[in-house]
Amino acid sequence: MKHSRLCLLVAACLSGTALAADPTQPAAKMAESDARRLLGQASFGPTDASVAELMSLGREAWLASQFARSDSDFSGVPYVNPNAAEGCPAGSRPTCRRDNYTLFPVQVQFFANAINQPDQLRQRTALALSEILVVSGNVIKLPNAMANYQRIFLRHSFGNFRDVLREVTLSPAMGRYLNMANNDKPNPAKGIQPNENYAREVLQLFTIGLWQLNPDGSQKLDGQGQPIPSYDQDTVEGFAHAFTGWTYAPRPGATRNRFGNPSYYDAPMIAFEDHHDTGSKKLLNGVVLPGGQSARADLEAALDNIFNHPNVGPFIGRQLIQQLVTANPSPAYVERVTQAFNAKPRGDMKAVLRAILTDTEALNPAQPSRFGKLREPIVQLTHLLRALGGSSDGVWLRAQAAALGQPVYSPATVFNFFPPDYDLPDNPSLDGPAFGVFNASAAFKLSGVLATALNGKGVAADPSVPGAIGTHIDLSRWQALAATPATLVAQINRLLFAGRASAALQAALLKAAQIAPANKPLERAKAALFLAAMSPEYLVEN
Amino acid sequence: MLTRRHLLSHAAALAGASALPSLAAPLAGGDYRALVCVFLYGGNDGNNMVIPMDASGYAAYARARGTAGAGGLTLPQSSLAPLNGGGVGLHPALTPLADVWNQGHLAVQANVGPLVKPLTKAEFNAANALVPSNLFSHDDQQNQWQRGQSFGGNAATSPTGWGGRIADLQPAGVVPMALSVSGNNVFMNGMAAQGLAVGTGNGFAIRGFGGNPSTNPLYALYQSLLQQPYANAEEHAAASVLKQAISASNALNAALTSGGSVAGLFNGLNSGIAQQLLTVAKLIEARASLGVTRQLFFVSMGGFDTHNDQLNQQNQLFSELGPALKAFYDATQQLGVAQAVTTFTASDFARTLQPASGGGSDHAWGNHHFVLGGAVKGGLYGRMPQLVLGGPDDMSEEGRWLPTTSVDQMSATLASWFGVGAADLNTVFPHLSNFAVKNLRYFG
Repeated sequence: MKHSRLCLLVAACLSGTALAADPTQPAAKMAESDARRLLGQASFGPTDASVAELMSLGREAWLASQFARSDSDFSGVPYVNPNAAEGCPAGSRPTCRRDNYTLFPVQVQFFANAINQPDQLRQRTALALSEILVVSGNVIKLPNAMANYQRIFLRHSFGNFRDVLREVTLSPAMGRYLNMANNDKPNPAKGIQPNENYAREVLQLFTIGLWQLNPDGSQKLDGQGQPIPSYDQDTVEGFAHAFTGWTYAPRPGATRNRFGNPSYYDAPMIAFEDHHDTGSKKLLNGVVLPGGQSARADLEAALDNIFNHPNVGPFIGRQLIQQLVTANPSPAYVERVTQAFNAKPRGDMKAVLRAILTDTEALNPAQPSRFGKLREPIVQLTHLLRALGGSSDGVWLRAQAAALGQPVYSPATVFNFFPPDYDLPDNPSLDGPAFGVFNASAAFKLSGVLATALNGKGVAADPSVPGAIGTHIDLSRWQALAATPATLVAQINRLLFAGRASAALQAALLKAAQIAPANKPLERAKAALFLAAMSPEYLVEN
Repeated sequence: MLTRRHLLSHAAALAGASALPSLAAPLAGGDYRALVCVFLYGGNDGNNMVIPMDASGYAAYARARGTAGAGGLTLPQSSLAPLNGGGVGLHPALTPLADVWNQGHLAVQANVGPLVKPLTKAEFNAANALVPSNLFSHDDQQNQWQRGQSFGGNAATSPTGWGGRIADLQPAGVVPMALSVSGNNVFMNGMAAQGLAVGTGNGFAIRGFGGNPSTNPLYALYQSLLQQPYANAEEHAAASVLKQAISASNALNAALTSGGSVAGLFNGLNSGIAQQLLTVAKLIEARASLGVTRQLFFVSMGGFDTHNDQLNQQNQLFSELGPALKAFYDATQQLGVAQAVTTFTASDFARTLQPASGGGSDHAWGNHHFVLGGAVKGGLYGRMPQLVLGGPDDMSEEGRWLPTTSVDQMSATLASWFGVGAADLNTVFPHLSNFAVKNLRYFG
């Protein structure tokens, strides 16, 4: 195995060939199967090392250790001249634009971190938040801009949702993406109104949703049995007015600082009071902001008004459950997570995550027939790599996730890669969010991606990426196991299925492992692994 | 929410053991028809797509839209592509469509949007008005267009789209009636029928099982794995997507890997929408080998949510859309199926006539749309709204048009041409009975 600088940093790369800690060790505080399941939900997939750590620590102590970790960041994405023609003049190296004016370096590091860095729960939570409070690379193409935005989630994954809300709102990336940057007070002479984009989506998508909710996530109903909208158009306009007056911080060396500053992504937005609307503003729940407040006072009051709305707990809580554990949580599960969100201090992400990951329904589903979720493409790939002890610099994974419908940090719209209530294709009474990007075309692409990942040769390092090591799953240990097909199948069941593969699947894997003659053990291992990876039982995590 | 399974079992109970009601017999003059839905995601600003050309109409438009360069959105009248005899002009980047108009085969439908029933401004302003739910919300309004059902309040929302409900009317073939070239959508989901998403690139087949899967024992094992019952709902759904994909792939792969005799018409058109429409043309050309006589296609473009910098952004988008639609129209002529293929646009909603800070516009309601094809009788359909902020057609103060034609009327007219009989129309479009006019006569 080729060790690069990147890989040498990482314990997981070095753990090498040991399959896992012995589950019968008396020190284990948790069964191996339970550990592998939890690491499917709370990390980018179990590695032998992370399974051993979790088993020895137990669930609570492992969560505590994860809450203390902060390893992942994006490096090498400094401020650049936003003008690519000046930043990469003629004669620049061919990768100048890719590395400075596209999300490539940020997306590659996302995958390198996901595969290699130990702050797994922090990263996984940050990805989940990035798919709720969406900024897309369709518009935000500068790597430093996206890195700064995603750092909000890495920073506050275990902090407080109110801080997430403030930082997102004042983020220049969000300001650019949903047009709060340079959102001016009304101009009656020109007939121009404040921009409603951020005001609408912060309510609809980032915090409370369209309908008033009960703590269990179900819709509240009025006396006629009708659901009750969370807000109306006047409320959207109220927030649009409250959010006027903000612009980008001045660029380094700027000679002017005024409303209408050009885009700058390395500092929060700043306010100019003469561009802030000073009228009163209608907010949620009948609250009216008094006129005459500063831009900052209006913004904080508006965000408090949103944050204290009773919908936030069930709205955000249910989506985090869907991202991490199951697409169709029971109302009681959602309500328990809401209670954690609503407990003091309100919005504590540690309490919310602990409630999600240690809930009785996550541990022992009451309704196994509707429990679990199709893995989103990003996690499909990272889970396979980590579970099979693979190594990756992130370059190939980035491209494959995009081909499968999930270019990380770059969904088509603010509605994410897929909506949380996407109907399960053959049973629309249930949700299947990741099915929003799963279809015939994507399934065929997935078959090609998995075949490449499991071909035993791997993907060579991209020479244009400094420090690249490529992506490899070493099949030599599987080749050795293939001498005894039953053992091979047992190990596949253990590592990819947490020991829970159905009898039918195990029987099929056993046949697959014996298609090639015994003197071709690599072919035997590849066939069984590929069949396993393409099986519905592996595509879905439950 | 009603489940598709529930509805199916209900339908089966009503029909006894017999098959679902079938499509009307193929209409005289042709045995093949296709509808192509071009969805403009984000909410296309119809106010800058179709503009009044008469002096007072244009003056009202310019007054409300404000000065370009000073945060306003007005397009110069001299830049517009006039639709002679229609009293309106098109955005300059849509000039290729003026050719189709001049050939007599472009219909412009004015001010169409989701409605449960006809609605006046007074009714809209009254308490308890039956208004489509979640106006101005992207996904809700996309769904209402694609579902052909606009619900107020807590009425059960349908999980199906109107394309899918048409496909439900006839037995499913190996190749589904509804094919998307741009991913998943509600439009093509039926109760039983499922649409299929293909890509624009070559190769529509499962990989990793060797060159000839039918003789590959690993592939046989995989097929048997997919046939397992899967008590878990998510696993069951994953298996069903894979099974449908594999069963349709042989026929579709051949069509998709062919060059297509009309590729030359798309030379130089590298946009996503042009490549999607070229793929549709290839699939139409392969209709005989696919064994289909009725096809529904779904293609799309994103980026129409122009809250800022709209003049530049919409110009770029239309510069892709206009030539692509024209090339596809020409392709249907070259393939000899112009009379059998009708293309129409759809979008979340229109945008406010009044500009928003940043040189854009916000979410609105009633919008203008295109219907084009050899069978279409060109002209302006419906009534253009009075472009006055807070005026009689504005349900707000910012220029959000109360639709004077419903999406269901527009869609039912297309479905009727496609061959859906009068009785089935009311099943496919449950609110059509609320409207006196059921057919907008795009086809004479």
